[in-house]
Amino acid sequence: MNDFPWLTIIVVLPILTGSFIFFLPHRGNKVIRWYTICICILELLLTTYTFCSHFQLDDPLTQLAEDYKWINFFDFYWRLGIDGLSIGPILLTGFITTLATLAARPITRDSRLFHFLMLAMYSGQIGSFSSRDLLLFFIMWELELIPVYLLLSMWGGKKRLYSATKFILYTAGGSIFLLIGVLGIGLYGSNEPTLNFETLANQSYPAAMEIIFYIGFLIAFAVKSPIIPLHTWLPDTHGEAHYSTCMLLAGILLKMGAYGLVRINMELLPHAHSLFSPWLITIGAIQIIYAASTSPGQRNLKKRIAYSSISHMGFIIIGIGSITDTGLNGAVLQIISHGFIGAALFFLAGTSYDRIRLLYLDEMGGMAIPLPKIFTMFSILSMASLALPGMSGFVAELLVFFGIITSQKYLLIPKILVTFLMAIGMILTPIYLLSMIRQMFYGYKLFNVPNSYFFDSGPRELFVSISILLPIIGIGIYPDFVLSLSVDKVEAIISNYFYR
Amino acid sequence: MEYTYQYSWIIPFIPLPVPMLIGVGLLLFPTATKNLRRVWAFPSILLLSIVMILSVYLSIQQINRSSLYQYVWSWTINNDFSLEFGYLIDPLTSIMLILITTVGILVLFYSDNYMSHDQGYLRFFAYLSFFNTSMLGLVTSSNLIQIYIFWELVGMCSYLLIGFWFTRPIAATACQKAFVTNRVGDFGLLLGILGLYWITGSFEFRDLFEIFNNLIYNNEVNFLFLTLCSFLLFTGAVAKSAQFPLHVWLPDAMEGPTPISALIHAATMVAAGIFLVARLLPLFIIIPYIMNFISLIGIITVLLGATLALAQKDIKRSLAYSTMSQLGYMMLALGMGSYRAALFHLITHAYSKALLFLGSGSIIHSMESIVGYSPDKSQNMVLMGGLKKHVPITKTAFLVGTLSLCGIPPLACFWSKDEILNDSWLYSPIFAIIACSTAGLTAFYMFRVYLLTFEGHLNVQFQNYSGQKSSSFYSISLWGKEIPKKIKKNFRLLTLLAMDNNERASFFWNKTYQIDGNVKRILSPFLTIIHFRTKNTFSYPHESDNTMIFPIFLLVLFTLFVGAIGIPFNQDESNLDILSKLLNPSINILHQNSNNSVNWEEFVTNASFSLSIAFVGIFLATFLYKPIYSSLQNLNLLNSVVKRTPNRVLRDKIINGIYDWSYNRGYIDALYTKSLIEGIRGLAELTHFFDRRVIDGITNGFGLASFFLGEGIKYVGGGRISSYLLLYLVFVLIFLLIYFNFHFLNFTK
Repeated sequence: MNDFPWLTIIVVLPILTGSFIFFLPHRGNKVIRWYTICICILELLLTTYTFCSHFQLDDPLTQLAEDYKWINFFDFYWRLGIDGLSIGPILLTGFITTLATLAARPITRDSRLFHFLMLAMYSGQIGSFSSRDLLLFFIMWELELIPVYLLLSMWGGKKRLYSATKFILYTAGGSIFLLIGVLGIGLYGSNEPTLNFETLANQSYPAAMEIIFYIGFLIAFAVKSPIIPLHTWLPDTHGEAHYSTCMLLAGILLKMGAYGLVRINMELLPHAHSLFSPWLITIGAIQIIYAASTSPGQRNLKKRIAYSSISHMGFIIIGIGSITDTGLNGAVLQIISHGFIGAALFFLAGTSYDRIRLLYLDEMGGMAIPLPKIFTMFSILSMASLALPGMSGFVAELLVFFGIITSQKYLLIPKILVTFLMAIGMILTPIYLLSMIRQMFYGYKLFNVPNSYFFDSGPRELFVSISILLPIIGIGIYPDFVLSLSVDKVEAIISNYFYR
Repeated sequence: MEYTYQYSWIIPFIPLPVPMLIGVGLLLFPTATKNLRRVWAFPSILLLSIVMILSVYLSIQQINRSSLYQYVWSWTINNDFSLEFGYLIDPLTSIMLILITTVGILVLFYSDNYMSHDQGYLRFFAYLSFFNTSMLGLVTSSNLIQIYIFWELVGMCSYLLIGFWFTRPIAATACQKAFVTNRVGDFGLLLGILGLYWITGSFEFRDLFEIFNNLIYNNEVNFLFLTLCSFLLFTGAVAKSAQFPLHVWLPDAMEGPTPISALIHAATMVAAGIFLVARLLPLFIIIPYIMNFISLIGIITVLLGATLALAQKDIKRSLAYSTMSQLGYMMLALGMGSYRAALFHLITHAYSKALLFLGSGSIIHSMESIVGYSPDKSQNMVLMGGLKKHVPITKTAFLVGTLSLCGIPPLACFWSKDEILNDSWLYSPIFAIIACSTAGLTAFYMFRVYLLTFEGHLNVQFQNYSGQKSSSFYSISLWGKEIPKKIKKNFRLLTLLAMDNNERASFFWNKTYQIDGNVKRILSPFLTIIHFRTKNTFSYPHESDNTMIFPIFLLVLFTLFVGAIGIPFNQDESNLDILSKLLNPSINILHQNSNNSVNWEEFVTNASFSLSIAFVGIFLATFLYKPIYSSLQNLNLLNSVVKRTPNRVLRDKIINGIYDWSYNRGYIDALYTKSLIEGIRGLAELTHFFDRRVIDGITNGFGLASFFLGEGIKYVGGGRISSYLLLYLVFVLIFLLIYFNFHFLNFTK
């Protein structure tokens, strides 16, 4: 039974069935939409089934492993496998992508290509989360760049070409460093390239080499994550993209950077990581404050939310840099939790943009009366984003806080400083989020738009936002839902730092 | 008995189904849920009554046995870190439980009528029940993390309820201000919790105190760090209880509906800070600096609140400043270490202030039918006056509350305030003098409110002169379509409003939900106005409905008799009063009055002293505000009664100074606006500029540079033979020149 290639099917299914979209008969967009949604749901169900029946939670090793030789010439294997670290992001990917396709129903222009690209991205993301081979990881990493570029440049806002170019240049630039790192690690030391994660994890390098590799990977993931000062593609991209693309970008794509940091930088290069972690923590703390204080200066609604995601990414970086069990668990939890919250916020921003056709906050106002449901959901999710207890963001941030407090690596004074900075971010977050809500919904305004008659969110939009909200509250009340997935793997990673 | 304790974890969750059901209902089936309107009020009152019965039972057990009960569950699985949830029932908890549930039930009852006009009726009940849940959770929680969780949740409820009428821009800013200010406190609280965890490795209160005592005893802890942590913890309490530097949110919070001001911003939530300090008193007591600091903050707040309350125009704002001042008394008492007095005052003040707020709500309700729904008008004391004749029951209740707050026996606040004043004499004479004189100020401003509201004649005709926008003001209907209209005759306002309401009910909302009962209520003021317009005389404010009077009446009873729990009836040492009996096992009063049998003579002298101060305040207020004839001059503390004296100018200056200080809220808000808000805006602009120009500028510059480079290369490599030839010839020429130069140089050598 275990020989059955579950993971290969999961990875290949969306892009394969997606390419059939082009052969569907021309019967309008409806067929395509239904087809895509069905595939997404099927894929999600398949993933859930596989993980339920074939995945043991208490095993920190790789499971469902598959190993096929692909290219003989330089030992390139099709190696897939999941462990506690990647199961969360994969499920998140399935969930968010399904909802994003549901959110993308209003798109009518070129919907064949659009839906194909969504499915291609689906494959690319799951592939990169589940690959166990460095080169395969790199290939999957590059694979999802192209759909994002096309999605941005064809379905975006006014400045979409500028942002798409910026996005592709930034990420492709990062990928160069990733490739350098991959090849460097793969070719180091032995005659034939070793690209397997398991063997690489036990390899050790001279200090200088390890630091060089580390810097290479760090730059690649810093672009993706993003870590300041490599973040400026993100507000532009999010400001211009269609909201279903934004959901994917904020929900999953940003998490790939953080995942890569844990998977490669922490697991493969532990010495360099413990050297670099003070810098990571410093940068993370600065990032929280910096992005949170840039955010109130944004007039554009989506850019403001984009800066809030940058600010939240700071917590992940600090969690990764703390090198404690609790901190890393917090970072993993924050990956999942921000995946939900960020996606939901962008979705709601997009739907309200669909109605009022205004992007600038100072032109808005008084939307609460015509759009009470969007107002409700927006308020709840902003509360979730500012880490209100009972929602997932709070637990994640709290765990990161405890991670940094209990970390034995740092002295008292730096710890106090970092905690202090993080907590200042806690004050700044409500300032920009609440003033955003106030500017959008509170107060009263007469709209001079000719048809100032809005529909409140319909059942589809309500379904999307509620189904994102439920896991947020669920995790917030009972965080073990997610923690139980990753806790053993995290422990295994951290124990490396003490036994080596 | 044991059984009850075991299942008392359910206490906070009992009121929870109501907000969940209403929330889900409003999101998914709005029409059906709104049709059920009044039906939802009953389960929320019923569930809260169940909690009340349970908590009364628990506290009877506490009086008899005085036992602690604690139970915990683990929340997260992690090997070296576990969060635990639990509950702790001790005397403090049971007192707070009774307080919250009784005031909560009365407020729910009251707001059924108060909010019945409102479209947000259901939303209001959902928020209120959710607030009850989180407040009950806060007082039953057994560790700091749990306290923090519920602390934030009550803050969020307060945010939602202050911004309940979100179409008012003032309410929108007020709720944001409240949340952000409270977040500053939470920032301190969280850091304090983390620091304590770092020192002790525990969150449980009792473990915490034990470990602390050990550490202090063995001198193993960095005292400075410990002081810092407890200072940070105290910051949380400062923000929540509206103490001096972070008090700015409380007066603005009065933008919320009046029942909310009674429940959240007078009785329960603002007491959470006092609760936290009381809970952590065993920790603070070890550190003398913190105790001194607490009492210092307390005394500053007492004085500041009282002076700021002196000249407020808005009846609710003036009550809010009074709340702040009274909270300062409690904080002072805690700082002095008299745990019992602080809690006693907490209880008595909660009931008296809830009574005052509900009374003011009733006044506002009756004023609204005359002056319109703008809070500038319906809460403006300038426009009130002479309500004695029109709303007699409310007047009596309000008078009882006022007298209680002034400290007139035998009303509730007298006993507790007297106890605090007595203790302050033992603590420090300077503090005692300030506290006593503030008691006089309290009497003054409370009677000012009372006299301005109920004595004299109705001043509604002055509403044209009241504000800056007197000639043209806009009617703000809360939920309906905004029709900004210049009001020519003021009394047309309500007709417009009512029409507006009906209109809105019919076509502005695409789904018409006819709210039974609501329509009737909307119509009733409509009719009175028509009546007025035909007769062309004043319409007078009416007494509120029985549903509103009944909770007020109950609160009057509470105000009259709640002081009894703290009065020792017998001289025997064994027979203590209920409060001491309840608190005795867990208190550690620092004070010297260890013999609990109260010396009656001493008591009487002290009481007569504080009484005389209160009477001086009342007398002054009567002197200044007793209306000879009603005029706006009343407000300015200048009165025509004051005879022209040689030093009149100086006196005027002083009075005007006090007036300005109070009216401008002690310039503290302005200072914060100037420094903090502008600062943050500036910072945001700066970082935005930096982000845009520098970081993004580098990227864009890189792009531009490569673009120009490419263009340049393209231009060079244009493919024209002639330009290649030209270039070639130029270089050949240069080469030849150099060559010949060298050649000739060599040649000449």
